[in-house]
Order: sequence, then C-alpha cells, then structure tokens
Amino acid sequence: MKKGFYSRMALNGLRRNRKLYLPYLMTGILMVAVFYLMTFLSTSPAVSEMSGGGSTQMILSLGKFVIAVFSAIFLLYTSSFLIRRRKKEFGLYNVLGMDRKNIGRILVRESLFTFLITVIGGLLIGIALSKLAELCLLNLMHESPDYSFSLSFKSIGWTILLFGGIYFVIYLNSLRQIRFSTAVELVKSENSGEKPPKANRIIGITGILLLAGAYYLAVRIQEPMEALLFFFVAVIMVIIATYLIFISGSVLVCRLLQKNKRYYYKANHFVSVSSMAYRMKRNGAGLASICILLTMVLVMISSSSCLYAGKDAALTARYPCDINVSCAKYGYSVQDKGYTEMLNASVESVVKDGEIDKDSVINYYEYCISGYLEDSHLSVCLNSLSNLSFIEYNKVAEVHFINLEDYNRIHGTDEKLNPGEAMICAVKTDDVGDTFSVEDKTLKVVKRLNQPDVSFVGASASVVSVTASVFAVVNNAAEYAKALGGFKDYDGTPMILMRWYYQFDSPASQERQIEIAAEIEDYYHSHNNFDDIDSSANFNAECHNVQRKDFYGTFGGLFFIGILLSIAFLVATALIVYYKQISEGFEDRKRFEIMRNVGMTKEEIKKSINSQMLTVFLLPVGMAVLHLAFAFPVINKLLMLFGVFSSPVLAATTAASILICLIFYVIVYRITSNTYYSIVTSGENE
Amino acid sequence: MSLLEVKNLKKIYRTRMGGHEVEALKNVNFSVEAGEYVAIMGESGSGKTTLLNILAALDKPTSGVVLLEGRDFSQIKESEAAQFRRNNLGFVFQDFNLLDTFTIEDNIYLPLVLAGREYGEMNSKLIPVAEKLSIKEILKKYPYEVSGGQKQRAAAARAIITEPRIILADEPTGALDSKSSDELLSLFKKLNSSGQTILMVTHSARAASHASRVLFIRDGEVFHQLYRGESSDEALYQKISDTLTMIAQGGIGR
Repeated sequence: MKKGFYSRMALNGLRRNRKLYLPYLMTGILMVAVFYLMTFLSTSPAVSEMSGGGSTQMILSLGKFVIAVFSAIFLLYTSSFLIRRRKKEFGLYNVLGMDRKNIGRILVRESLFTFLITVIGGLLIGIALSKLAELCLLNLMHESPDYSFSLSFKSIGWTILLFGGIYFVIYLNSLRQIRFSTAVELVKSENSGEKPPKANRIIGITGILLLAGAYYLAVRIQEPMEALLFFFVAVIMVIIATYLIFISGSVLVCRLLQKNKRYYYKANHFVSVSSMAYRMKRNGAGLASICILLTMVLVMISSSSCLYAGKDAALTARYPCDINVSCAKYGYSVQDKGYTEMLNASVESVVKDGEIDKDSVINYYEYCISGYLEDSHLSVCLNSLSNLSFIEYNKVAEVHFINLEDYNRIHGTDEKLNPGEAMICAVKTDDVGDTFSVEDKTLKVVKRLNQPDVSFVGASASVVSVTASVFAVVNNAAEYAKALGGFKDYDGTPMILMRWYYQFDSPASQERQIEIAAEIEDYYHSHNNFDDIDSSANFNAECHNVQRKDFYGTFGGLFFIGILLSIAFLVATALIVYYKQISEGFEDRKRFEIMRNVGMTKEEIKKSINSQMLTVFLLPVGMAVLHLAFAFPVINKLLMLFGVFSSPVLAATTAASILICLIFYVIVYRITSNTYYSIVTSGENE
Repeated sequence: MSLLEVKNLKKIYRTRMGGHEVEALKNVNFSVEAGEYVAIMGESGSGKTTLLNILAALDKPTSGVVLLEGRDFSQIKESEAAQFRRNNLGFVFQDFNLLDTFTIEDNIYLPLVLAGREYGEMNSKLIPVAEKLSIKEILKKYPYEVSGGQKQRAAAARAIITEPRIILADEPTGALDSKSSDELLSLFKKLNSSGQTILMVTHSARAASHASRVLFIRDGEVFHQLYRGESSDEALYQKISDTLTMIAQGGIGR
C-alpha cells in the first residue's frame, strides 16, 4: 500500500470524529499541563529556596501523584468510550477488506498522534503558565516574586514518560476491544437490543445502608483525632455507596413509581419515568463519578480556602507574640526555681531595652500533668489510663498548676488564696465541681475564670489542642508538682511536666527579631549549668516571622494544589457530562421520532426530555451537596488539627465553593444540552 | 362526502442552499370512503412515503389540500397536528416503532396516556384488543423479548386502541417473514370487515391484494387504480402483478 496511507487514515479518523476527539484531546492537554506545572513547581529551585518551600514541595509532590493516577484512570475510561462509539467505523474497514493488522496500524498511528498533540500542546501550555503559576504560588505564600524564566527538562522528561505510558496502555486497550469482536459485531454493536433495567434490591439497599452508616460516622465523630482516623473509612464508604445507589437505587425508585398506576399513567410521568430507568441504568456509573468528582472539588475548595483564610489566626494562636521562648522538662526538682531564673536571664540579658514591648510580656512557669478526668477527679495512674477505650478520648485532660503571684503579676490583679484553695479555668470540659482533685490532692474551687480573660500561654493553645485543659491557680504550684512527682510513664519518665514561658512583642525589625531568637538560644546553651536538668529540657526560641513563612508555605501550597486539582476535576466532570449527552443524543434520536409519530408534539417531547435531563443533572449535584453537608463537621474537626477553628469561615467557603461548582455545572449543562438537542433533532431530516 | 379527500397535492423539496429542487409529489388526487381498505403501491422513490407523511400531518404539502371529513388539516399548526394524529389516526410502521423502554402493554397505552385517559378505562379497552390480536400473553414483556410478528401486532393494537378514523400503515409487512405477513394481513382484513378504514402503503403485491382498492403511484402521480370488485384475493393479486409488469414495461399512462 502507498506510503503514508495509514497515517492519512488515522488523521482522517480523528478529524471525522472531532466532535468526540476534540474534548478528549483538550482534557488530555489540560492534564499534561497540570502535571507539568506540579512537577515543575515541586522541583523548582525558586520554590525550594524560600522558607517554607520544603513543606510546599512535599504537598506538591503529593498532588502530582494524585494527578498522575487520576489522568491514567480518566483517560483510559474516556478512550474506551470513544472506541466503543467508533466500533462501527472499524467494522466497516473490516468489511471493506482490511484485516485486524491493518486496523491495528491505523490505531497505532491514531494513538501516536493523540499522544503527540496532547503532550506537545500540554507541555507548551504548561511551560507558558509555569511562571504564572510560580508567581501565584509565591504570592499565596507572601513571598516576593522573581521574574526570571526557567525550563525544567527533568519535568518535561517525566511528563513525557508518564503520558507516553498512559497512551501506550490506552492503545493496547483499544486494540483489545477491536480484536475480540468480529466484523458483524463491530458493525452492529451500537444497535444491540438493550434489556430493561432490573432493579437489584440487594445492591440498592446495601448502598443506602452504607451511605447511612458513613453519614452516621461523620456526624457522630467528636474528636479531631477520631476524625482523622474515620474520615478515610467514611470517604471510601461514601464512594462505594454513591456508585451502588446511582446504579441500582435509582432504578429501584423508578420501578416503584411504575408500580403506582395512578401516578405512572399520567401524560407527564409516563414517558419520563420509564425512560429515566433506562437513563439511570446506562448512566449510573457516570453520574456517580460526576457526583464524587464534584464532592471532591467541593471538599477541596472549601477546606483549602478555609485553611488559607485561617492561616493568620492559626499562626497567632500558636505563636501569639513576636518572639516566643519556652522550655519544657519532665519531672519535679528542687532546683526548678533557680532553673527558671536562669531561663529568664537568658532572655533578659540578650534583649536590649528598646527591643522589648514591656506591656506584652508574658513570663511564668507552670506544672502540668495529664490524666483521665471523671467526676471532678483527675486520675493520673497508668492503670486507669490503660483501660481507656478510644471513644473516651474526650475524657483525657491536662491540668496546669500556676502560681498565684505569676497570675497577679500578669493580669495586674491582687487576688488572695488560702492553702488548698484554687481559682479554676476549665477549657473544653465542664467536669469540674466545687472541689477538684488530682489523685490525693484536693482543691477547693473559690473562683472560676473564663478562658478569654486569662493570658496564660496554654490557655490560647488549649483551644487549639484536641483535649480538655484545666488551669488551676494556686498558692504554691511546686507543692503539687512535688506530690505528683512520683507518677511515672511506662518508660520511667515522670508524668509531671514543667513548662516555662517568656514571650513578648518587639518593635525591632524582622531581621533583628530573628537574630534575637537565635541569640537567646545561644545564651541558654552557653550559660546553662544545670547538668541534670539540661538533658531532659527542651528549650525553644521561636520567632513569629520565621514560623509565618512555614505556615504560609504549607497553607498556601495546600490552597494552590486545591485549586489546580479542582480545575482538573471540574474539566473531567465537564467531559463526562459532554460524552453522556452525546451518547444519549444518539440513543434518543429514534425514540424522539417514534414519540412524534404516536402523537406527541415537539414541545411535549422537549419538555419531557428537559425534565429528565434536569433530574439526571441535578441528582449528582444534589447528592454531592448532601455529602458535603455531612462531611462538614468532619472537615471542621480536621481543620482543628491544623489549628484553624473558624466554623463560620468554613461555612462561608463551603457556600462559596457550592456556588462556584453550581455555576460551572450549569454552564456545562447549557452548552452540552445544545449539542444533545442538535443530535436528537437532526434525525428528522434524514 | 368521502372520509378522506386528497386534492392537487404537490410537494417540492429544496436543498438547503436553494438551487436544487426535487418534486416528490406532482399532482395527487384521490379519495377514500369510510370502511374502505386502500393500498397504495409504487416503487421506491415514487413518492409513497412523502404522501404518507403528509397524510399523517408529519409534513406539509407545498400546495393542495387534504380533507378529513371535509376539514383541511394539511396546514394546521404543529401542536394541533399532534393532537390530530392522536385522535384521528392510527399508525403501523415497517419497523414497528415500539419504544424499547416500555413493556408491550405500556406501548399500547401510550396514545391513551397522552390523551389523558384514566388507567381503569385504558385497561378495559386493552383487554378486548389484546384478545382480538392474540397478544394477551406477551403484554408484560419488552419489545426485545418478542418476535417481529408479535411486535407488529402490538403496534397494530396501539393503532386501533384509540379507535381512529383511519389506520395508516407504512410497509407493515416489510420486516416480517411470510407467515407473520399473512397473519397480519388477515388481521387487517378482519379489522376492515368490522368497519375500520385502512390506508396501506406497500410495494408487495401480496400485501396489496388484500385491499379493496389499489392505487398505483409513479413519479409523484397516481396514474392507475384497480378495484377489487367481486374478485378474490388471488384474482386481485394476478391483476396487480399484471399491472406492475406493464408499468415495468412502461405501458400504462405513457
């Protein structure tokens, strides 16, 4: 045969089916571009050089993996749909005298062209956008941009390798589909009679039960740690349940409606309900995929934007002052008092007069101990702790003993306490009565303090913490520490923990603040002569501005990935919707004609189709919003682990993400339903 | 007055860009009396399908009128046309035109449901029809589960359940084997003898030989017709065959 014949055939094949292939190619290009962007950014020196860039790149690598897996699955799924639609064409080639080998040659070239168009197009777009994406990312991380342009050949290599692999598998798969069918089958495959959908009760009910179980799990979860554990279980349950319900449950509903003769035999229900059962059967999997993709997009946009919006609040909660110096060590020692004086000196001798805002200083030390809080009694004993099941995690509490003199100094008050008396501030628990005991030490509660009114470091942090905290202001904290000093952990560490804080704001420049923090650490290590304490103590001088970069790096990176992945998922959704419309258009064409012959007006048919399509379209969105509603409390708790505690912000970002998705979806629906109508009505002129 | 009158019917198709014109119907005139069984015969491309589409109010003539009981329906609006089809016409098609999403029973109900009838009424109408067409056993089945002959009987049931003025049949035996064809044709005859008017388009001489009158159409014109008179099916069949042979030789009308 003439040279270039197969290539021409392949190109013609693509051109003739452009209605099918154009969106497929465009999606492929987008996937390549997104993958390149992520690979580029995750290895970009510009990103890794900035502070916090390390955490961003780790998140980006994760996103890269997600996109790779998603592209593979999605492109494979789409291409097998395309091949199925084109079986007739290949059958015709077969009838006209081409054998499987010839068709295989055409397929090879088609796959090659698809691969080349997709990868070259995607890489060009990816490279063109890489700088913009880098700038966006830097902006999100509040870093100053650098305008040099760079190309990453390694990233290009990886992209070509990955997508080359994907398109090779796609080629093998199409070859398999063509090979295992005879010419007659190929020509006829589109018109094979379809069996009526059978409602499988067991599958449908299983789906509903699974979904109910997942929802129950999601609503019941109280603790962030639990949320982390059960979230994945719930997610997998929801995904399976969604598929089961869309595939079987919906047919079941249609069948039940058909049993109700009075409802079913009405002009406006009759056609809709029966065709709906077919539509659902054919599209169940597609609809479930749309629903899950939408849910993922909703969850990603709402949570990542909430995280990003809450980054400053989380940072301030964690690092309230410009410079936060702290030290923690296990056990009680008679030297503790002298030790804290040395700690204070390490700060005060480094910081010069003009560099400290005296009003903001919070400087004190405390003893704390964790235990199991029940009936206003904290038991520290390991035996009682080891009996705890996971569910009673919410009874774990940390008690802080703070000296009255520190309290009065920090708050500028003049409270008085007798021995055995205490002022109590309880956070995240109400299980503190008029007397409160820790093992055999009993305290008489004479006054209750509210969390916002106290300026203990632990108090603001305890809101961030996942467990309950009780702050007890007492005359002599050391007395309690000494009494509880004997309780040891499994490995022999004392359970009592001394924490010392020195934090303050500073009018000094950012650079100087960072220097101060470093100097404080140096001073501590060179002047500390408490040998026995030093080995167990953990001394930290942290600068708000250094931490901010890390926070912005992490949260900005998450937000960035959330947006990129959302775009990829939304486009995938659009593609599924588009193909669904096309395939339904071809299937409904004949039906449309019959109904017209039997006496339905065009308007009636259009109305019926419209209502069906709208239902089919709104179902996944509705379901996705329902999923999101039940996921809301879980997401809220998961965000707590990141230190973001604002439910109103999450509610706002959730609402916004639903709105964005809805608008996008409606636009896609509009465009694709036009395609559908043009296919359906084109049958009339034939 | 005739039940159906077709006067000076003309249909010209234009290609979309204008320019090319195809005259599908030149000048068609005929009438059908109530209770008649008329077959229209012609080669492919003779204008049969165009004529049937106009009679079914699916298409509009370029000029000329179609009167049903003296009323012109060739120019009515699309929405009225649908209602008109529902109330006055029953259709039987070559490829059955059953919806695969419905059971046989629901397919037969379709026109009644569209007309807004109650289930009870529909059901009481269905039973005698189903018995007459011997499809009682397959009512709950889906089209893909039954034979071609059964499908066509179901389509016939859908056509007669609305008690239409006229049944329009478009090559009803075209997709059937000879046994099923004979069954359907004798069914049509039975319907006709109970007073049902039938207009059938076909190019099968055997099918046409069951009619009481046969119209021949060629190049968009009715150019010949045969009356059964007192002759038997076989005799009519012979006459039709002779006529067709003559047409093939270019004898008649030229």
